Amino acid sequence: MAMPTSRESFQGGVFHASIPGGRSGATLSIARGELIADTIGEPSMRFSIPLNQCQIDLGGASGRMVFCRTKDGSLTIFCEERNFAKELDFQSGGALAAPLKQLKKGLAADANRFRFWLAISALACALLLFVGYFGVLWTAKTAIRALPVSVDEKIGSMAFSGMEMGRKLDANHPASRLVQEIVDKLKPHAAIPDLKFKVTVVEDADINAFALPGGQIVVFTGLIKEAKSAEQIAGVLAHEMSHATLRHGIERVSQSLGIVAAIQIMVGDVGGLVALGAQVAQTSILTSYSRASETEADLEGARMLNAAKIDPKAMADFFEMLKEKMGDLPDAMAWISTHPQHETRVQNIQNHEKKLPVIQYEPLLLDLKAAQDAL
Amino acid sequence: MQVDIRNRPSFANLRVQFQPGDRIIAEAGAMATMSSNIEMKTRFNGGFFGGIARRFLGNESIFVNEFSASSPGELVLTQPFPGDMICTELKGNTLFLQPGAFIACEPGVRMSLGLAGLRSWIAGEGLFRLKLSGNGRLWFGAYGAIFDREITGEHIVDSGHLVAYEPTISINVAMAGGIFTSFFSGEGLVTRVRGQGKIYMQSRSFDGLAAWTNSHLM
Ligand SMILES: [Zn+2]
Repeated sequence: MAMPTSRESFQGGVFHASIPGGRSGATLSIARGELIADTIGEPSMRFSIPLNQCQIDLGGASGRMVFCRTKDGSLTIFCEERNFAKELDFQSGGALAAPLKQLKKGLAADANRFRFWLAISALACALLLFVGYFGVLWTAKTAIRALPVSVDEKIGSMAFSGMEMGRKLDANHPASRLVQEIVDKLKPHAAIPDLKFKVTVVEDADINAFALPGGQIVVFTGLIKEAKSAEQIAGVLAHEMSHATLRHGIERVSQSLGIVAAIQIMVGDVGGLVALGAQVAQTSILTSYSRASETEADLEGARMLNAAKIDPKAMADFFEMLKEKMGDLPDAMAWISTHPQHETRVQNIQNHEKKLPVIQYEPLLLDLKAAQDAL
Repeated sequence: MQVDIRNRPSFANLRVQFQPGDRIIAEAGAMATMSSNIEMKTRFNGGFFGGIARRFLGNESIFVNEFSASSPGELVLTQPFPGDMICTELKGNTLFLQPGAFIACEPGVRMSLGLAGLRSWIAGEGLFRLKLSGNGRLWFGAYGAIFDREITGEHIVDSGHLVAYEPTISINVAMAGGIFTSFFSGEGLVTRVRGQGKIYMQSRSFDGLAAWTNSHLM
């Protein structure tokens, strides 16, 4: 039976010690059961391997190169062309199909393993970034809480001096004196005993008050005018003082600055943190604290009022009064707008009040009317 | 055409001595000095788009220079980093070069840029590679010394040290040791080459230079 002869030739190469340099490109053909390689260039050399002695291998840079080797490995003929493997198998009467299939399977498994590790590595990198990011944030939050209160005070006073506000009332003004007296009465019961509370009355028609980090408290004349009793003002002040003693300001700053604050804390740049914190405080504290912070300030405020023998009910009353007035309060700058969810808050304060020590509340002996008339 | 590699191994450069009719193709920036009678023609390195791709993807020039002479003359070619150069002759076979390693070749050598693959990239051997095939001599350079090795089977090369390899060689990424050793030994990933054929390695790597420079910048 006549052996088939390949109709085509292929471009490939050959390794053999007799070739100068050990290798050469070659034109390959398959004839009479042999794989034949004619080297390119002058003089051309001919090498051949009987197909039935061909040790087949698959690989190379592309992973698609077919190698045919003699048993002793001294001669290798290789080719990357698409049809070469098929032709080789056809010419060998199907004898090379099984080993080729096996090799392809091995390469596919290898490729899958590579893809698997690639995916795992990508996932690990993402996880590391994720953990790293939140780890840094958590560390920063902890570190910020460990900062001395003096940092709060610096941020507060810097923010205060940089804020645009109406005319500040003189400390001797009846309204200033009234507010100061309430603060003095509440101060001994503050959670941070040596915090220097500083209260300022500012000429502004809005019914508003806010606390800056470190105990800077601002009360608008609008709020004093609208109050029905000195106790209601005390309620607002206790709430605002609680924001300061609970350090909500600096918490807010650390949330806003996030990773920046974390880096500043880590490199020990407290000065930079204060400057940035003051900016954040100016812009964000007026836009309200988180809901959890507000509830906390309500309850702590109620505790302070109770300890100062002022009825915490006044704080709830003030909320209720504002709620009723909401209809004709178009502006967003009112205290109520930065202190939302008032219904649940009134309820919360009243519930909390029941848990506080039962004491005889004393009315505040302050002349609210005189203060209001002086405005 | 007589070509010598001089000042080996640290500051190797090529001296090309032309006889009438000789031609050589060189990387665009490689010419250091030449006789006034040598003619220099700049052309796209493997076509316009191929050239652009090579520039952006493979860090090779868009252009190559073709030098020719109608009377005897001399040309000196250099590479931008200190290191050795090597000459190899293609006889219908192919060689893959790391981008940036190519210096010069004879006109019978064809150049094209190909994707080297994700594995090569992860191994620090570049996402692309220059494919040189055809007939003729070829010169390429390396950072530091160059040494070659005939591979049969498997061999490990530190990442960034592989300069050239034959298409009969497959490139794989591997970890130097276990995950732990790889992370803490500073060896990290290595290149695992497999197959039959020649590989060329450089004794230094650009990553190593970058790390060394960074450590002295602080
Ligand atoms: Zn509040």
